[in-house]
Amino acid sequence: MTSQSVRIGSLELDNPVLTASGTFGYGLEYDDFFDVALLGGICTKGLSLHPRPGNPPERICETPAGMLNAIGLANVGVENFCSEKLPILRERKVTVIANIFASTVDDFVRITERLDGEEGVHAIELNVSCPNVTHGGIEFGRDPKLAAQVTAAVRAATKRPVWVKMSPEAGDIAEVARACESAGADALTAINTIRGMSIDTASMTLRLANRTGGFSGPGLRPIALRIVWDLVEAVSIPVIGIGGIFTARDALEFLLAGASAVQVGTANFSDPCAALKVAEGIREYCVQQELSVSDVIGRARAR
Amino acid sequence: MVRGAEWGDSPLLPRPMSYLTAGTTPSILIKLVGEGTTRMARAEPGEPFSLLGPLGNCWRAPTPGRRQLLIAGGVGVAPLLYLARELVRGDKRPICLYGGRSGRDLPLDDDLGEVSELSLSTEDGSRGTRGRVTDLIERVLEDDMEVFTCGPDRMMAAVAAMCTARNVPCEVSLETPMACGYGVCLGCPVPVEGGGYLYACTQGPCVDARRVDWSSADHAPRGAFTAGRRSS
Repeated sequence: MTSQSVRIGSLELDNPVLTASGTFGYGLEYDDFFDVALLGGICTKGLSLHPRPGNPPERICETPAGMLNAIGLANVGVENFCSEKLPILRERKVTVIANIFASTVDDFVRITERLDGEEGVHAIELNVSCPNVTHGGIEFGRDPKLAAQVTAAVRAATKRPVWVKMSPEAGDIAEVARACESAGADALTAINTIRGMSIDTASMTLRLANRTGGFSGPGLRPIALRIVWDLVEAVSIPVIGIGGIFTARDALEFLLAGASAVQVGTANFSDPCAALKVAEGIREYCVQQELSVSDVIGRARAR
Repeated sequence: MVRGAEWGDSPLLPRPMSYLTAGTTPSILIKLVGEGTTRMARAEPGEPFSLLGPLGNCWRAPTPGRRQLLIAGGVGVAPLLYLARELVRGDKRPICLYGGRSGRDLPLDDDLGEVSELSLSTEDGSRGTRGRVTDLIERVLEDDMEVFTCGPDRMMAAVAAMCTARNVPCEVSLETPMACGYGVCLGCPVPVEGGGYLYACTQGPCVDARRVDWSSADHAPRGAFTAGRRSS
């Protein structure tokens, strides 16, 4: 009656709480904290075709109710992920969403093909919305045609579910969303960070070496919630809500708005167990309300 | 990583801190550099804080046959006082050099003096020798020593250069901003010799000084998240 499982297209998750790409490593950093298989799933750090060292420091700074990051997609590369990280995740029965990033459509396809041959990758999430790299990323996510092109190419290269992570900086996000849906996306993740900036008045210099960084944290939440609400209206595929979720109550806002699942991101930095606490809090809410999670999803839209 | 349990959404992130003392009631030394440390300083007795730790590595064990020289800059004294106490427990009383801008920038100097042969320096001459702590090193550094240092990047860069020139082992305890402290935010890269980065949270904070590419230390003072970086 109070079931926590949710369906994202063909993929069933034990509960609606995932962790957001770039805030949870490869899911292997949590041995001292909790069993990550208890989560609905994890989205890996964005994987590129080759390893990337990332941007020079400073990469992060705090802001009111959030933070800016310009990590620059530092990652081990898809090959190392498949050979070193994935076997452990598979053994631990973790639901793994491989987040991938490239600057060309061809490279998106190559990464996808590499992952497609591996057991234990439950879905592929396309990062077409990273604000912190010079080439690729956000350009794909701003333009409906490019977004559709990447989605269709990846769709053709794998049988796995394909999720597309939306940029809040697209002029018309709903148009990008519909283009991705038409191109074969199984779900949308909304939203990625919004570019921001911070200047240190004492040294009169920019705080981030990259000049700008992606803003995340609780300050992003009302904007993300509004976008998720609009996208649920705009498309018929599932929408996964993300943006400043720190508590179960935050996550429930997204579910009530119609998100089929949520991702916990920046909160993992403040508390490594944040996502697990969110999942437990949603369960308690469902028991109190005598509802299953699927009954909660979209319930605020009916009123 | 330390954060007030009742801070709410701001400051949002925990602060990376060295242990001054460990055990069931550990202590930390804070310098007021921004909103987080200011809130810590204003905390009332009994106010709840969350502490995630210990994280990262610790000072390497002293090398048999070498004398230990500890070099502290300002609030960087915390992990070195901890180290000095441990060395004394192992009957290895170290030599300590401790510098700051003025006498007010030398907290816990008495505590450090109890467990080491201590020399102080201040840039304004209000305590100890007038000048920088690096001036003192010239006088005491010997080839059979090993150096442990923590302080502003530029001080550690100078110490590292002097040790390298003398072929004396030197270990530094790095300080950088970080959001998580356990290897997932990737916000704490430190440039390394030969290119690339190490992450201060999990591959540090204590590293061999020769691993670090100090060339960026001259123009990139670090230390605080919010208001007024530590200028050093």
